[in-house]
Amino acid sequence: MDYKVDMRDVKFQLFEWLPTEKLLENEKFADWDRENVEMVLDEGLKIAQEVLAPTNEDGDRIGAQWKDGEVTLPDSFKPAYQTLCEGGWVGIINNPEYGGMGLPEVVGTAVNEFFFGANMSLSLTVLLTRGAGNMIEIFGTDDMRSIFVEKLYSGEWGGTMCLTEPQAGSDVGASKTKAVKQDDGTYLISGEKIFITAGNHDLVENIIHLVLARTPGAPAGTKGLSLFVVPKIWVNPDGSLGEPNDVYCAGIEEKMGIHGSPTTSMVFGQNEKCRGWLLGEELKGMRLMFYMMNAARIEVGLQGSSLGAASHQAAVAYAKERLQSRHWTKFKEKDAPQVPIIEHPDVRRVLTTSKAYAEATRALLMQTSYYIDMTHATGGEEKERYQSYVNVLTPICKAWASHWGVRVADMCLEVYGGYGYTQEYPAEQYLRDAKIACIYEGTNGIQALDFVARKLPLNGGKPIRELLGKAEATFNKLKGDSQLMEPAWMLGAALKTMDTITKELTKRPDGILITLLDAVPILDMVGTILGAHFLLDQAVVARDKLGAILADKGIDPEDEKTYMAFINDNAEAAFYHNKIQTAIHFAYRALPTVTAHAAAIRAGELAPMKVVM
Amino acid sequence: MKCIVCMTHVPDTASVIKIGADGKHIDESGIKWIVSPYDEYALEEALLLTESKGGEVTVVTYGPQRAEAGLRECLARGAHNAVHIVGGESTLGDSLAIAKVLAAALKDREHDVVLCGIKGVGTDNAQVGPMLAELLGLPHVSGVTKIEWSDASIVAHREVEGGYEVVESPLPAVITAQKGLNEPRYAALKGIMAAKRKPVEKLEVGALGLDESALAGVEATYSVRSLELPPAKEAGKIIQGEDDPKAAAAELVKLLADEAKVF
Ligand SMILES: Cc1cc2nc3c(=O)[nH]c(=O)nc-3n(C[C@H](O)[C@H](O)[C@H](O)COP(=O)(O)OP(=O)(O)OC[C@H]3O[C@@H](n4cnc5c(N)ncnc54)[C@H](O)[C@@H]3O)c2cc1C
Repeated sequence: MDYKVDMRDVKFQLFEWLPTEKLLENEKFADWDRENVEMVLDEGLKIAQEVLAPTNEDGDRIGAQWKDGEVTLPDSFKPAYQTLCEGGWVGIINNPEYGGMGLPEVVGTAVNEFFFGANMSLSLTVLLTRGAGNMIEIFGTDDMRSIFVEKLYSGEWGGTMCLTEPQAGSDVGASKTKAVKQDDGTYLISGEKIFITAGNHDLVENIIHLVLARTPGAPAGTKGLSLFVVPKIWVNPDGSLGEPNDVYCAGIEEKMGIHGSPTTSMVFGQNEKCRGWLLGEELKGMRLMFYMMNAARIEVGLQGSSLGAASHQAAVAYAKERLQSRHWTKFKEKDAPQVPIIEHPDVRRVLTTSKAYAEATRALLMQTSYYIDMTHATGGEEKERYQSYVNVLTPICKAWASHWGVRVADMCLEVYGGYGYTQEYPAEQYLRDAKIACIYEGTNGIQALDFVARKLPLNGGKPIRELLGKAEATFNKLKGDSQLMEPAWMLGAALKTMDTITKELTKRPDGILITLLDAVPILDMVGTILGAHFLLDQAVVARDKLGAILADKGIDPEDEKTYMAFINDNAEAAFYHNKIQTAIHFAYRALPTVTAHAAAIRAGELAPMKVVM
Repeated sequence: MKCIVCMTHVPDTASVIKIGADGKHIDESGIKWIVSPYDEYALEEALLLTESKGGEVTVVTYGPQRAEAGLRECLARGAHNAVHIVGGESTLGDSLAIAKVLAAALKDREHDVVLCGIKGVGTDNAQVGPMLAELLGLPHVSGVTKIEWSDASIVAHREVEGGYEVVESPLPAVITAQKGLNEPRYAALKGIMAAKRKPVEKLEVGALGLDESALAGVEATYSVRSLELPPAKEAGKIIQGEDDPKAAAAELVKLLADEAKVF
């Protein structure tokens, strides 16, 4: 399977839009500068295209296989995973003290887009491994750190997060898995977890599970949960491997997509011999787990965005090749030749919409990653401010980017007509693989509840006001602009609507119900506003750069014919030109949905609560 | 072992090539430059060799400023040193001029082996390696797909029509690498990080006792009159032959003679 990405846009967002170069001047990133970060991007893409993408089909068609407790992955996954480990890609953003590469989050996000886009199943394992390592680095004891962290950042061992049980899905507090303290300070773990990604497989010699479990006498709900480090094979204090730790993989799920990622049922302690170490303190497990989940939520949003972007690229390539029907200007000429379908206005609209969402979700994820970097690069109040932005943006990253990633993959599939529905093209796999991003790490419904109930009111609503304030600034900058005035006013109107709704909801007697009912649309409204703001902001940058190119070449943008001829011949100019068009398109097509949602919310439409089901 | 790898920085094979305004060069705007793929085999061989026998790898290029990025890439893959002879715009494509410059840079540098790609992608002349060997007074083996290394000699397989030739050569020697010699590695993040700190030695052609304008002028052995893109491919013709193979064969012969003019 080929993998394509708009590297030009990735580099644009990273270096021309975000102040990544400035960030790299921070002493924390002393080893990196723009030049070698670009080399990282180029090499990462090369590995995605040459190593990961060719195994993506094996992941789908051969998939993970379970037999007698052991799980095998397709043969081709092994050398591909090895390449990631050897190059240090697993620990790309992690602490160099433990073998990580210390790159900024925002660079990690760019590279991980390539890896998820090229092979989501395999890259998912990497995500969890990195995340588990990070948890132990932050919350573990010195001994645990020295035993586990480097092995995880290097990818030599794998990691998982074990929350879900049959009766405890969204309702994690209903977990029953037990942990009983032993004389030697370790805990005996017993219970069953389901849907555990990469709970067992043959890419690594050991797997380190982070398991939420309940200690004797602990209170009900999430407040009674503690977090444990439970290795598949016991690890001795000197780091050598001991006996198997009574962790059994009872089976794997048959599912819609990501067949190359084993979704396992794990039985801990069926012979009462499963031991674990407590991570952090007892009863603080959920708080710790949230740390891992928040990081993972951004990466899950990235999965959606990456597969959407990959679908878009593949659909554009297909639309340029497939000949069908006459050109729309020649529809009356029976003998006119068939043209590539990319000439048809409807196909162009779909490909522009998909491009716009791919770039808007990419911008959201890059911006949020950049804020994470700023929490590390600053201190005091500034750090807190950035952290509050990250907190508010996390559920939007997860839910908005995955939702639209899937929609993009869906619209792009239709560009192929019947061929898109077949396995001959990657479109259907992209769509199937992307869908899970809407569900795990907390369903998008749960993300929206988190957003409206916890994130909107955070710090008296200050962070969301500041974030929307940045969108307001974009509106103010462009409200008199000859080219972007209308899109800017649409953004302004959407902001006004959002403001009205939030004020009204706090006052209405049915406010709580409406908020719960409309959490998902509300999250979408904010995502859409931010997306439009990012794209317009980028359009302004692009326009300056385009202007410079035109001036340099002596092209008059008012002379449409010369201008278009030039744009068609100059890839760099075409890129900037497209950024502007994409922003305009998104403003016209996406921003009105904010008003549409608002109509139902303001009217207090409650039919879902009245329907008899 | 002291290995020298000669590297040339070329347009990515996936680039869309346009002819420049002078009709003699390609238009370089918007081109992505890469380490010539055959040089990657040369570099990989040098890295494998020094990893097993010790020693160091020095990468040398003769090219414009932008070629430094290619050197950095080689450093990221594990090369120890890099030498950049800045220039080459005016001697572009002139294999002998390039070989002279490289020979001048290498002659006083210690080396047990010099590795080049069999050819630079794009110009595809396949001459620099052998010419360099002549100028340095070294033996050379070209188009190599396998090497067995000993301390003072090598046994190399070189590709020939329909098979391969096994050649023994003393060291030092110049070797040009062909596809199949090895699988070039990807740069590790650690290597990319380290590359920033490794020095790139900059040299002027003049400092090597050569005059670039003379190389490109009176001493030039090569000049480009004009550059054209190949004609656009026309749709292929399919001759239906199931019903009457004889007639189809006759039609094929006719087309080959009249249209394709192969005989
Ligand atoms: C492929 C795959 C991999 C996974 N990997 C992991 C893993 O590695 N580790 C792990 O611990 N888990 C994992 N999961 C589990 C996943 O996180 C859960 O499936 C998910 O959190 C939802 O839980 P559930 O399936 O029990 O759905 P339920 O909780 O039953 O939800 C069903 C529906 O009800 C809605 N709902 C539930 N509660 C509420 C509420 N209070 N208000 C409004 N709506 C509500 C949900 O939004 C959803 O639409 C994985 C799942 C899959 C399919």
